[in-house]
Amino acid sequence: MENSTRSGTSIRAMTFASVAAAALAVTLTAFAQPALAETERTVKIAGWGAKSGPLRSFGVNSEAVLTAAVQAINDAGGVKLGDGTMAKMELTYYDSACNADQAISVARKVESQTEALIGIGPTCSGAAAAMYGIFQKTVGDASDTGLQFPILTDTAIRPGLAKKSQWTFRNVPNEIAMYDALFEWLRTQYPDAETIYGGTETDQAHSRLTFALVIVPMAKKHGFEWVGGGIEGVTGKVGEGRENVMEASKSSNWLMADTNFSVQARAFKKSGADMMIISSHPFTTCGMLKEMKRQRINPKVLVGLTSSSSAETLKGCSDAAEGMYIPTGFAPITEAAAQVAALAEANGGSADLHSAAAWENAHIIKQVVEATGVMAKPDTLVADRRKVRDGLEALANVDGLMGAIGRVQDEGESIKPYVFVQADAGSWTVVHDPR
Amino acid sequence: MAYYLGLVQLIGIHTLLGLSAYVLMLTGQLSLGQAGFFAIGAYSAGILTVIFELPVLPALLAGALIAAFFAFLVGFPALRVKGLMLVVATIAFSEFVRLFFFNLSWRVPRGDISVGPDSTNGFREIRYFVANGWSAFEITAFVWIFVILVMALLWWADRSRAGAVLRAVGEDELAAQSVGINLTAVKVAAMTAGGFIAGIGGALYAHTATYIDHLTFTVLLATFAIAYPILGGLSSVFGTLVAVIFIQGVLVEGLRFLGDWRNIVFGLLIIAAMNLKPSGLFDAPTARMLKRAVGLDGRG
Repeated sequence: MENSTRSGTSIRAMTFASVAAAALAVTLTAFAQPALAETERTVKIAGWGAKSGPLRSFGVNSEAVLTAAVQAINDAGGVKLGDGTMAKMELTYYDSACNADQAISVARKVESQTEALIGIGPTCSGAAAAMYGIFQKTVGDASDTGLQFPILTDTAIRPGLAKKSQWTFRNVPNEIAMYDALFEWLRTQYPDAETIYGGTETDQAHSRLTFALVIVPMAKKHGFEWVGGGIEGVTGKVGEGRENVMEASKSSNWLMADTNFSVQARAFKKSGADMMIISSHPFTTCGMLKEMKRQRINPKVLVGLTSSSSAETLKGCSDAAEGMYIPTGFAPITEAAAQVAALAEANGGSADLHSAAAWENAHIIKQVVEATGVMAKPDTLVADRRKVRDGLEALANVDGLMGAIGRVQDEGESIKPYVFVQADAGSWTVVHDPR
Repeated sequence: MAYYLGLVQLIGIHTLLGLSAYVLMLTGQLSLGQAGFFAIGAYSAGILTVIFELPVLPALLAGALIAAFFAFLVGFPALRVKGLMLVVATIAFSEFVRLFFFNLSWRVPRGDISVGPDSTNGFREIRYFVANGWSAFEITAFVWIFVILVMALLWWADRSRAGAVLRAVGEDELAAQSVGINLTAVKVAAMTAGGFIAGIGGALYAHTATYIDHLTFTVLLATFAIAYPILGGLSSVFGTLVAVIFIQGVLVEGLRFLGDWRNIVFGLLIIAAMNLKPSGLFDAPTARMLKRAVGLDGRG
């Protein structure tokens, strides 16, 4: 009996030792320095985003599009370096979830442990806001020990983030311009629509801020009035009266983890508004839309958040979303955009206003590397990263999938072309193209 | 190198979070309120360095004291409940704190921008370290001074009468009370000490991350706080450190290259570790083995 106990204990000890050794081996492998002495020079780029957790699809889509973009660039011969050598582009993509700690950790890892010239990511605005904070604020400020490594974000869309650091840039749509134009157009399409009502997922900064700072003010700017008043402080100028918007909508808002929307939908129904606004991500947008359908709420006009103009919304609730208008920075209406949509699908993802930016980013990086004479050698890494940053800042215009993309140089932001799409029989149909 | 130092900083901060739960667990209390105390320390210290422009050290100590004060207040009502009821009560406290900061907007102009907590938009610009030229090594050393101090204090306490009293209450409250131990004083003191330690951790976190928002302090963080001492074992303060290294170093960072498989392997390794070492990764036999290995077991 004692022998068998002893034998059981030693088996357990051996198993534990094996698991510990395996874990150690895995960790050492993961932390191992990449081989620096490479004969073939490559233009290394790193991407990261949410490939786990509730927003997993955003990272999966970005990686799929980025992989396709790098493949296309390499198939076309690669990237021309400063001495005329043609180099392949090489992508490594990391999962940073929708988490500030992990985004910061990956940024530090890529900056100090890899030879990547630039990073593309992260997915979530909260993670981006945190991550941008650890970068050097002003280039060349020796007293600021923040990271000195360029970033070109594709997804995190909350307004005004990139100006946190001169090393951070974004290629994301400008929601202020998009909703301004959308409501101007809706005014002409629905002259009888007078009143608006809506709700947002209040614990998601992008949904909430875009609702209070942009969507409702822009609707009011174009003559739509909130049912029952209460948003008198809203003048149509971005940001003014945002507290009033949140106060007026407090009975119709929800949280991202909510699964029951009956109270909020009842508030929508009670309002009887001509136009209803749902400012949230696909998961709760679908929950709310399904509940609205169950309660037979049929507004004249339904408007959604930019981030919901995706395949996830159609997969989750195409019936309930029927007729919803959303402005978007991507639709497969040009030959290039259609090609990217097909390539994304072939890589196990889908192209939308967020992930399609990853394609443009890879091509922007190629353009900048070629324009600034990057050498892509281990001993020129610091100088190459600085060249890429300076090249990004100097960009005035670049070619995008939907047309020319303008740059706001001192803020690191983009001005992207956009269209208005409507959910129509299980797909997004372009109903207006203001380009 | 910045990456490794960043990881070492994160391990240090999470060790403080785990130790804050460890102190309570010695008295047999399981609290999910540590995320709330961590948040109070983070926001308080951040407000003090950003809005009031205090140096980081007094801000950090003030943040820890404010967190300890709230822990002290929570300690009294927590005496009336235990076990799962205490878990539910402390989750409610954590959520209350999180939602308070979710709604807190306190912006003041600073140059051409405004700074301070901004409800959903989060609290940016907590850049004391980088804006004052601290290197990654200096930040890491600063974090670990607190980790080592707290671990040394807890290690010493564990070997003193205080430690014996804490463990006595944790083992059998009735027996402890029958030998004259004041349960109220011990439990409230443990809760306050836990709040102080979590407050230090939160203050350090806010300044290393440079940005915090309410989503940082969810019930997931509170779960990690109690998972560290449970996984590491309660026989020694080092168990919490071992568990933090295992989770943050090996599972979160070490497995990142596995991509989509990371979360699955993460879960499997946690289950494997808890089955193979049910008393904790750093349980008493492991501690004895290590002592023998380094010749500290007192035998010839």
